[in-house]
Amino acid sequence: MAEPNVPQTPEVPEAPAGPYVYDYKAAPFRQIAMPKTVPLPSRQTYLAEQKAAAEADEAKWQKTLADFETAKTKAEAEGKDAPKPPVRPVPRKDDNDLKTPVPEEAQDPDLLKLQALLGDKAEEIFEQAGELVCQVKKEAILEALALCRDEAALKYEMLADQSGTHYPAANGFAYSVVYHLTSISRRKRLRLRILVPEGFAPESACPLYPSANWMEREIYDMLGIRFANHPDMTRILCPEDWEGYPLRKDYPTVGWGQRDISFREDRGGMLERIALQKAGQLGINLKQPKAD
Amino acid sequence: MGMNQPTALEHILITTKVEKVMNWSRATSVWPVTFGLACCAIEMMAAGASRFDFDRFGAGIFRASPRQADLMIIAGTVTYKMAPIIKTLYDQMPEPKWVMAMGSCATAGGPFDSYHTIQGVDKVIPVDVYIPGCPPRPESFIYGFLKLQDKIMTSSLADRYKDIFEEVG
Repeated sequence: MAEPNVPQTPEVPEAPAGPYVYDYKAAPFRQIAMPKTVPLPSRQTYLAEQKAAAEADEAKWQKTLADFETAKTKAEAEGKDAPKPPVRPVPRKDDNDLKTPVPEEAQDPDLLKLQALLGDKAEEIFEQAGELVCQVKKEAILEALALCRDEAALKYEMLADQSGTHYPAANGFAYSVVYHLTSISRRKRLRLRILVPEGFAPESACPLYPSANWMEREIYDMLGIRFANHPDMTRILCPEDWEGYPLRKDYPTVGWGQRDISFREDRGGMLERIALQKAGQLGINLKQPKAD
Repeated sequence: MGMNQPTALEHILITTKVEKVMNWSRATSVWPVTFGLACCAIEMMAAGASRFDFDRFGAGIFRASPRQADLMIIAGTVTYKMAPIIKTLYDQMPEPKWVMAMGSCATAGGPFDSYHTIQGVDKVIPVDVYIPGCPPRPESFIYGFLKLQDKIMTSSLADRYKDIFEEVG
């Protein structure tokens, strides 16, 4: 019989050894699900989708008609009543109520002017929900930004935001970088968009818009797109020694185990980090080179 | 002269232990370090302001330097980037020192079951009192502080010595 006053010694769980493995069985919803579609708004894609949908609808209707004919002849041969003829469904009034606004053809003089100036460097222009979008070739983004800023008819003085998105299912590109421009004097907004494949370094917008500095650093930090000719292409939100790019779709929500480092037990690890930092300041690379 | 009558000497003297006096003085003059990480810090400030008046318990003097403080209130989410800074601040505080983990983020990561959040500040520094809540109200914060005072009053120098020297040894 155990002594009543002696507290039970709690069992100390063993620390997991080896590389970090998250227990996905405990939380199956945390499994990485790669997207199958490319939800990139584009008029060309929209028109192609509409065409394909109409063709599929027509084919389905033809098949229904053919099925009806077969059923009719069969019923006639057997002497039964003829089946009911099929009715083609008409589109309902509220079919498009909960859908995103349709990318419409560009009417705005700004977009037309920009396309005329850029020529074939502008890949696509469209308007969606009254917002102007122009997709340009990824090599010509600096030229397009300079036009938007300096052309007297455009005069977009401010780069309000710059954002990036990962499209792993896309063909021919992996990321999109969107430049949200604002014209204070003309009270207008315009989006420029480039499609960036993996490994391509688009030109930095810093020489034209100084506000791009931190936003490009954030895009690099979160998605891993490096910008060429950027004055300081380092991480801005994550620590300098972070591995991986958290906003990529293949990055696990729980990370690669950084959050589970025990700073109390892993004093050696802390000391090693400090040593690496000091060595980095002195220009010595203590880190082992890693194969990508 | 009966036994229940205090002597003249007992009128001017109290007999006690040094340890108890030290614990009493420490528990009634805890100086926290000014350190807020997220929204829990707002509740910490509310507890320090005039309505709840944290100063009643002798802990209202928030020091701007860890060298002058002996309580660290982790009020908010602890990110991976912030963890080494917390560790440094804790190491800069002179002994004896205590830590309160305020709110569910500092206790166990809270709603941020994500790549950047340390799942509880006890992975970085040892914690004396955990206060649940998101964020905890000033009342529960003060209750947690009273619990810390109890802990300080019952602490012993011998235990502290053991903690510091025999663990490392």
